[in-house]
Amino acid sequence: MSFGKFLLKRSLQGLVVIWGVVTVLFGLRAITPGDPVNLIVDPAVDQATRDRIREELGLDQPIYVQYVDYLQDLLVGDLGYSYQSSRPVTTMVLERVPATLELAVAATVIALVIAIPLGVISGTRRNEPADYGATSFSLVGISTPNFWLGIMLILLLAVQIDIFPTGRRPVAFHDALWTFLTTFYVGDLLTWLHHIILPAVTLGTYFTALITRLTRSGMLDEYGKPYVTATEAKGIPGVLIRYKHVLRNTMIPIITVLGLQFGTLLGGAVVTETVFSWPGLGLRLIDGINNLDWPLIQGIIIFIGISYVVINIAVDAIYAKLNPRVIDE
Amino acid sequence: MISDRIKSNLSREFRESLLAKVGLVLLVAILIMGLFAPVLATHNPHTTGYFDDDGNAYPPMGVSYDSHQWVDGERVTYTAEPSADHYLGTNNIGQDVFSRLLFGARTSLMVGVFGTGLAVLIGVPFGLVSGYYGGRVDDAMMRVADIMLAFPSLVLALALIGVMGSLTIPIPDPFVFAGVADGMPASTPLPGTVTLVVGLVTWVWFARVARGEAMSIRNEEYVKAARSLGANDREILLKHVLPNSLTPVIVLATIQVAAIILLESSLSYLGFSGTTLSWGYEIQQGQDYLRTAWWVSTVPGIGIVLSVISINLLGDWLRDSLDPNIEGEGGGAG
Repeated sequence: MSFGKFLLKRSLQGLVVIWGVVTVLFGLRAITPGDPVNLIVDPAVDQATRDRIREELGLDQPIYVQYVDYLQDLLVGDLGYSYQSSRPVTTMVLERVPATLELAVAATVIALVIAIPLGVISGTRRNEPADYGATSFSLVGISTPNFWLGIMLILLLAVQIDIFPTGRRPVAFHDALWTFLTTFYVGDLLTWLHHIILPAVTLGTYFTALITRLTRSGMLDEYGKPYVTATEAKGIPGVLIRYKHVLRNTMIPIITVLGLQFGTLLGGAVVTETVFSWPGLGLRLIDGINNLDWPLIQGIIIFIGISYVVINIAVDAIYAKLNPRVIDE
Repeated sequence: MISDRIKSNLSREFRESLLAKVGLVLLVAILIMGLFAPVLATHNPHTTGYFDDDGNAYPPMGVSYDSHQWVDGERVTYTAEPSADHYLGTNNIGQDVFSRLLFGARTSLMVGVFGTGLAVLIGVPFGLVSGYYGGRVDDAMMRVADIMLAFPSLVLALALIGVMGSLTIPIPDPFVFAGVADGMPASTPLPGTVTLVVGLVTWVWFARVARGEAMSIRNEEYVKAARSLGANDREILLKHVLPNSLTPVIVLATIQVAAIILLESSLSYLGFSGTTLSWGYEIQQGQDYLRTAWWVSTVPGIGIVLSVISINLLGDWLRDSLDPNIEGEGGGAG
């Protein structure tokens, strides 16, 4: 199979998954007890108005007609209107994406910057104090709920020693960057950084722990292979072997796991955003669920599902480029 | 099933592994805490209000905990500090933090074990059928699994709770009925919706593991032999494939209990628990009072971390000794 065919096949499978996600959400909305009309207007309103709203929402149609309408709307990017605020859901989702993206990227960067050196040290100095330190850290990091970690960070670094804010996002990264590029004023960027550090550490700790573990075990596996002995015999310095050859081979499974764990990252973002009042998709999802605002819930979860599928196709594509044997498996 | 070789492997690894012992001791301690909560607790976990050393009642007469009172811009609370009467202090409405820690262990362990049990009951048959039959059946069933995986477990759990609402099942307390736990609640609420939901969002990991096992077992000589002796698919699945795929399922189930405890705590932190006797709920309650009462949020969090660590240590030990190559959510935080 060629790479193009492989990509096409994976994309088609991805489409099936997205269709499944969309259908599951339609089903969940349909079986939710209660009349959505009551969520839009006062339950005491007269029957004529209720019927009119019902008709506008298409709720008077048979369920399969509603389903087809829903799919047609989705194809053109129309996620409907929020019950609570009557705003278009597509806008409500998109305007919250930057905040969540900032958080997810910052958390991933923190995780990679800390975890990879830690994993390399741990894997190359097996059973030395540094290794014990790194493995204990990763055990605790994997076992700590991120919302509690966030609250403990607030307690220590925002309440006891007042060096970080307890939450909120006073300025968006793209705005701060724009200000900097146009006026060379760096203050907004610093404010942004000051506010994102605690949430990003909170969200990133689990991944730091996970990647440390993976890097360590990957290094241990790779070190047993003959090519390492061969490069050592050629007199190539240890640092170069560790970081250039061994680490590169270890990175392949790490990238795959990062793709698969992307969902966990977004799930973690929901909780982290709640702890720090970070105005992203997660905080809006919680609002939606508290109000049973199904168009909003649907819209956010569809967005998350599609991102997950797209990221995993991209990861598979990178993987196939790095290791063409997988294409034929 | 579990052979003698595996048994000797388990015991050798256990003798050698200090961490496994630490994990076991911790877990037994937490199990005792949860199981005997009505006996060990010093106060009814629902009782609000307390007395100070001079016998003065808090909150004072006529003051309610529910009405949030503000004096000079500060929220007034009657939170007691840790003392001889309240080992770990009280929370913002004067409930005993120590007693709530014990009952919280009960909730976490119950949801962890029942939720995992449900996930096994759905996931293992699904995976075995998919892997055993292979071909188109497998393709279709694995697409279903892919769809499940495209939802982050926490997000799907939230959506399902939105559909089902919060259901609680009261579980009678044996100690109260035996008359040894005076003044304790007569039953522990099991958050029914949450238990159901955590099983429904995590079964797919068991399906994947069981499928992998079934795929390799179906081509074994003894399965071929059984088939040529006239055994039908159902008999083969139940008598041969199921027993021989249990080892990795047991390892995964151990780790999943930890993952589900974390998931339950996240859900109750976000306000979707169905019971107030939950560590996550308690942490959420304490978040507003970090300045005046740090212990309210801190104590239950330590409970979560220690339970999850102990289960993960035991899971690592099982995995190392049985050494199946399995993947799973691990102790997925959040």
